[in-house]
Amino acid sequence: MRVKLRRDLRATWSRFALMVIAIAVSLTVFGGVLFAWAAVGRETSAAYMGTEPASATIVLDQAIDTEQMAAIAAEVRARPGVIEATGRTQFNSEIEVNGSLRDIPIQVFVAAPADPMRMAIFDVQQATWPPSAGEIFVGSDSLTLLGVAIGDIVTVETPSGELARLRVADVVYDPSLAPAPQQQRGHGYLSAASLATSGEQAVMDQLKIQVADPGPGTPSRDRNAVVAVVGDVGEWLEREHGLAIGEIQVPEPYAHPHQGQADALLLSLLAGGAAALLLSTILVANMLNTLFTQQIPQIGIMKAIGAGSGRIGRFYLAMTLIVAGAATLIALPLGILISRAGVPAILGFLGIEADSLAAPWWTYLIVLAAGLVLPPLMALIPLIKSSRTTVRAAIDHHGLGANASTTTGALAWLGRIRGLDRGLLMALRNTIRRPARFLLTVGLLASAGTVFVAGMSLSSATEAVDEERREQRTWDVEVQLAGPASMDEITNMLEPLPDVSRVEGWTRTQTGVAGPGQIPLTRTYPDQGHGSVSVTAISVDTTMLPPPKLLEGRWLSPGETGAIVLNQITRDNTVPDVQAGDTVQLLVGGQPTTWTVVGIAEEREGGSGGVYATAEGFANAMGQPQRVNQLRIATNSHDEQTRIAVADTVDETLTAAGIEVQSAASVSQSDLVTAAHLGPIILIVLAISIAMGVVGGIGLASTMSANILDRTREFGVMHAIGARPKAVRRIVVAEGVFLALTSVAVAVIPALALTAVLGTGLGNLFMGAPLPFRVSMLAVGIWLVLVILGGALATDAAANRASHLTVREALAYL
Amino acid sequence: MEFAIRVSDMVKTYPLSVGEVVAVDDLNLEITHGEFVAIVGRSGSGKTTLLNLLAGIDRPTSGTVRVEGADLGSLSESGLAVWRGQNVGLVFQFFQLLPTLSVIENVMLPMDFAGKIPAGERRDRAQQLLDRVGIGDQADKLPATLSGGQQQRAAIARALANDPPLLLADEPTGNLDSVTADAVLKLFADLNSDGQTIVVVTHEADIRSVAGRQVTLQDGRVVDDERTGVSV
Repeated sequence: MRVKLRRDLRATWSRFALMVIAIAVSLTVFGGVLFAWAAVGRETSAAYMGTEPASATIVLDQAIDTEQMAAIAAEVRARPGVIEATGRTQFNSEIEVNGSLRDIPIQVFVAAPADPMRMAIFDVQQATWPPSAGEIFVGSDSLTLLGVAIGDIVTVETPSGELARLRVADVVYDPSLAPAPQQQRGHGYLSAASLATSGEQAVMDQLKIQVADPGPGTPSRDRNAVVAVVGDVGEWLEREHGLAIGEIQVPEPYAHPHQGQADALLLSLLAGGAAALLLSTILVANMLNTLFTQQIPQIGIMKAIGAGSGRIGRFYLAMTLIVAGAATLIALPLGILISRAGVPAILGFLGIEADSLAAPWWTYLIVLAAGLVLPPLMALIPLIKSSRTTVRAAIDHHGLGANASTTTGALAWLGRIRGLDRGLLMALRNTIRRPARFLLTVGLLASAGTVFVAGMSLSSATEAVDEERREQRTWDVEVQLAGPASMDEITNMLEPLPDVSRVEGWTRTQTGVAGPGQIPLTRTYPDQGHGSVSVTAISVDTTMLPPPKLLEGRWLSPGETGAIVLNQITRDNTVPDVQAGDTVQLLVGGQPTTWTVVGIAEEREGGSGGVYATAEGFANAMGQPQRVNQLRIATNSHDEQTRIAVADTVDETLTAAGIEVQSAASVSQSDLVTAAHLGPIILIVLAISIAMGVVGGIGLASTMSANILDRTREFGVMHAIGARPKAVRRIVVAEGVFLALTSVAVAVIPALALTAVLGTGLGNLFMGAPLPFRVSMLAVGIWLVLVILGGALATDAAANRASHLTVREALAYL
Repeated sequence: MEFAIRVSDMVKTYPLSVGEVVAVDDLNLEITHGEFVAIVGRSGSGKTTLLNLLAGIDRPTSGTVRVEGADLGSLSESGLAVWRGQNVGLVFQFFQLLPTLSVIENVMLPMDFAGKIPAGERRDRAQQLLDRVGIGDQADKLPATLSGGQQQRAAIARALANDPPLLLADEPTGNLDSVTADAVLKLFADLNSDGQTIVVVTHEADIRSVAGRQVTLQDGRVVDDERTGVSV
């Protein structure tokens, strides 16, 4: 039997090679993604948890001096459920490097010089914590973004309003933060000693706490448990120390700010790889079935001379295992290579440097099991069926035979079309002659087409979001003031400036949202960006805030007081049970105010902070006159050069008038953040479609090859009755193209459905709201061309073989 | 005199691991237009090989084969296909109708390949041929729904599609019951009486009653030719 096995493999090596390639391609994708997913998970977890992130941050309404904060932290450490506590603060500032102002702002994290650095730690590369007064450490991924190097002198504005000149002493690796280039914001690390001014201590407003699981001293994975412990601490601070709590921030435990996105990305990729693997094993099972069917006469002969079903079954199982083994051998190193190439890119997306790129051992076992077990499992039924063929059945077996399937009969009406070429007619009917094979091939190609069109459509949808935003964005420059200012005063100053056509302003203030009598709770991460909430107080006559789409209730009425609109992200993260008509509490500057939620809006990427009130309503609630701290400025020509020039002029004018400007920048800067978030996803979806396309192409090639083998005699007859090789070739290629075109028709509805699902899922994940439904007609066109060309190419070998069969060979077949 | 078939000193050998096997050995044969020739012999006598050589399905190792004025040795595979479409109608033992085409479409297919009959006349001609072989009412059915005899009649109609001067048949009654086989032979006789040149390879004895000439092969050689009376 070994000799027969060797000879059978040699005789049909091309078909075995196709089977090996089909499994190897999909197993490579599956293995590569699995390795990457496991390695990324391990590295992310190790790096993020290596920073000993705080389970929660209690943001005080008023900062307290570092000594008081240290004493409170020591008391908190003794409270039940608390592992560690420490005081910190942070601020955002414009940055000058060696006297040159940068467009990108910096976020500076501050810790006391005596901070034991047991929690919320970061890795200082060369020096040691703390930096000396007058020195700053800069995040390693911020160097290029800010155009700064070690030894440079940077100037930042401290919370007290003083300008601090600091020398860049070292770089810091901080894997707890999203990468600076994605956020378009640099990171700096400073000792509180640098903030101390004229004999007064620096102040801090954040109490970071690490909460334990019940029992052992490991940080809790249960957010509810964290919320409960930190809520108690918050009440204790208010009760015992008389401190007002601005907000309690509890991010998802053990999860990097971009963890959800990375997981969704890799899991969807893994699902795509698994789907491709499943489809390819089904394809191989089908190809093996064809092979077993062709061997039925030989099975009959072997049985006639004494071979049992078990022995024959083992023989074909060995054949299947050789295919599976060869594919696994090829796929394993390729998968490792893909993983090694992909892991640094994905970790880069998370801002993490890998300690090791190696996948965990168990992932190799999974890939080996998938490669070696799945194909024999899928081929089990045809294998058992073939090995149980009786001698009588084997003698009576005549291949595909003279019977056409009922599906072929169903296409009999085509013959009544006058002028339809008989060759094409035959090709069309032959396409569906083997319904199972037809469905498998069409299914494979349609799956690839579906993923391709959906992936490209995702790209179109993000472009549509950008277009929509550009259309709605009638302003060119955004200005963040350090404090509130009079709008009339600002308008008088700015509108006469060259190229400024209109100026609008409103107040945007960080806030906490809570139910009545509760402390505001958010999912805000330490960068104060991911998950933070702000209230935006808009003026009645604004033309620069397009009203968002409303999911519930209504938009604000002009001059209305006591009413707010929440966006869906803020509602879900802070007060998930609240509906239009309910009452909530906003905590601004330590002052609790009560509001009625009149509507829930749907916004992408957090919109303008998550909470909207009228300028009158906000001023009324805060008991202050209407002021603004954020400006939107429209220019005359809307080009980038003008935007930058206007931003600079506005900055200079306001600063000269004594109005502090935190940032003044062109609106194009915010586009970069979105592009950095979604770009890799689209590439990966397209990569899945290519892997599926390869498997689909192999499926088509193998189907056509099997079809040609099945119909060898028919081709002989065609040659015998006068068909030239090119006529036969045309018929076979036409079959391939019909199959490919059918797959396009079949893919239409799934492609629309997947586009909708991906647009909703990824839109919600990355932008907080579904992407607009867009179908990329370019993708449809490209896929149509690819599938027709691919169909013709995949069929070419089979067509060539069919066209060169001699009549004698064909008639002697089987 | 122009022969329909003229075979001269033809040898056909097949290489096997044990050496060459001679299937046709120095064979000479001439068949004139309008003849109905039965080539008979035992299994392995070389009669199917001879028919394949006459149809251009196989090529001789040496010697020449001229059929309907063409030297088959000089034609390529593609050229042979075109030549067959114009000059030869082939009938097989197992009918070999294409299962995905209806009976009439099977008959029209050689016309499509040869392009000899104008496209607009092909369906009518196919229907006439099916009427002639007695299965005109089965034209739109798929072959699998026909009986063996009906399928062989359809195969004969297909062989006549391009009005070929020569009809070659390999065991045309070998897969039919005796009554059906007789009907098919009668059909051949009718065609021959209309002037059709027919060469049938068979080991059925009944052929003697309809064929005008019987060539007997043994070990690849002609051992008896009823018309010439040659006896080795």
